[in-house]
Amino acid sequence: MKTTIVPLGPQHPVLPEPLSFDLVLDNERVIDAVPSIGFIHRGLELLAPKRDFEEYVMIAERVCGICSFMHGMGYSSAVESVLALPVPRRARQLRVILAELSRVHSHLLWLGLAADAFGFENLFMQTWRLREEVLDMFEETTGGRVIFNIVKVGGMRKDIEDATLSRISSRLTAMKPQLKEITDIFLNDYTVKHRLSGLAVLPEAEARELGVVGPMLRASGVVSDQRLGNPMYEGLRWEAAVEKDGDCHARCRVRVKEIFQSIDIIAQAAGAMAADGIAAKIASAPNGEAFYRAEQPRGEAIYYVRGNGTRMLERFRLRTPTFANVPAVVKLLKGTELADVPTIILTIDPCISCMER
Amino acid sequence: MSLKKSPWLLHYDGSSCNGCDIEVLACLTPLYDAERFGVINTGNPRHADLLLLTGSINHQNEEVVRNLYAQMPEPKVVLAVGICATSGGVFADCYNVKGGADKVLPVDVYVPGCAARPEAIIDGIVRALGVLEQKRAAAEAKK
Amino acid sequence: MTMDIALIEAAALPERVKGLRAAGSRLAVISAVALPVAAAGEAPAVELTYSFDKDGALSHLRLTAAPGQKVPSVSGDYFSAFLYENEIREQFGVEFEGLVLDFKGTLYKTAVRVPFAVAAPVKKPVPGANS
Repeated sequence: MKTTIVPLGPQHPVLPEPLSFDLVLDNERVIDAVPSIGFIHRGLELLAPKRDFEEYVMIAERVCGICSFMHGMGYSSAVESVLALPVPRRARQLRVILAELSRVHSHLLWLGLAADAFGFENLFMQTWRLREEVLDMFEETTGGRVIFNIVKVGGMRKDIEDATLSRISSRLTAMKPQLKEITDIFLNDYTVKHRLSGLAVLPEAEARELGVVGPMLRASGVVSDQRLGNPMYEGLRWEAAVEKDGDCHARCRVRVKEIFQSIDIIAQAAGAMAADGIAAKIASAPNGEAFYRAEQPRGEAIYYVRGNGTRMLERFRLRTPTFANVPAVVKLLKGTELADVPTIILTIDPCISCMER
Repeated sequence: MSLKKSPWLLHYDGSSCNGCDIEVLACLTPLYDAERFGVINTGNPRHADLLLLTGSINHQNEEVVRNLYAQMPEPKVVLAVGICATSGGVFADCYNVKGGADKVLPVDVYVPGCAARPEAIIDGIVRALGVLEQKRAAAEAKK
Repeated sequence: MTMDIALIEAAALPERVKGLRAAGSRLAVISAVALPVAAAGEAPAVELTYSFDKDGALSHLRLTAAPGQKVPSVSGDYFSAFLYENEIREQFGVEFEGLVLDFKGTLYKTAVRVPFAVAAPVKKPVPGANS
């Protein structure tokens, strides 16, 4: 058999970020895919021993500009759990609201990029038009559009007024019909279904074995969401979005469901805000270790911190959802057509700067 | 003939956190709509007049960036968007980060911010158009 | 916070991992920490922690790899381990035996070899830092 090796990336029109695959092809069929990473590797975990642990939140936020808030929150939560620091309820509610708002913006971003990948330019533009409204809400509450610097170890850096929160919540609710108009295209349109249905199927058993996380795992029928059982989400009514088919369209459906679900979670949280302050006082430096798991838009992220009682952490380690999902892409690409490769790479919602840190 | 009416743009992410990248993309979508200046985002360096770099230069992408720049036709303009592309930003101390885009390429326009705001990026692009025009005029004069 | 950590020897790893796999656990993450060294310039021992998820709860296996010691790869049982193990090999210099997809040290292609293989220097606490 005569095979051809086609390099895809690092600079490629469909990838906003550099990721490279060596695709081994037999005509149009992909026989093997070897990922090559490291284009965005900075080594920021190594900055942890050089920075004050409270200052490091700024670096943690800049792991990734899409889940920036979630990274700051995950890092802070991990340190808080080493410190056994009780975070005020209001701070936790504010975190929930900003985290869910991040999920809405991130899923809209993905829907747009996915549309772009399967050649539906107009849909991409429309999705991103709606996403801008969410970014306006970030700007109104935190001052930033992508990087917020609002979370800190122990709670939040600044408060958001109750009136602002309920205004945001009603704005989001009012956006629902517009969102539905767009998401209905993703759910029902012939072209979209044609490109996504039955593509890159990941059966449940294989999904578990490959250790995939987030919408990837849930689209294969596994009920797994780190928000379940997280005390932050206590008292909020919602359930994990799960689909059975395990193909690209199922993953798209999971994300669409989660957009509306997040809007409902925000409405619930904003309607029952506590008034017990926004930050706990930090009295000591972290001594000990902890794992913290957060459900990011792309799936479960694991934060590991180890402190030795000084202001500098001994080790900060982050396993991001994309890192857990890449092995699955390597498997899913085998046996597919070259023309479907961009869609399959995008199906995990890759975030390379997260992955390589 | 004016190049400035229809500059094509090539975006490459050095080792950015994605913040500036999504803002660059946001510039091209309906709200900010840089396309009204004739800017088209292209994936092909052979088509591009502007090279927009986000994120800092590291040891692995150095060659990639040089290569992309070399493939672009003259005249060409380089924009460094965001503090990382300018100096390395918060990541300047990282072992795998070399520094800003000007470590390997002649940068014409620097856009500040972490992350750079779309307004700032558009301003940078418009300034870059001026530089492009100057370079073109200089090249014509030489002929 | 209490953590479910079992301290094991490297040789016992494959069997424990096979057991976890048979029980339906998912490999969540493999982390590494360089342990402090007696004198500067020495190669540190590396502590490896394998974390597994079962029904939402994490359990961990922990072992210490002495400098130069080879650790059996678990990528035969959990394919996704290849990415963690290749990363740890490049960042900490730990060698794994039996990797199913071996990048041979070209995953990140960093400028510095084994950048993480230096134990964190012990620093004095900074008095009066802001809260």
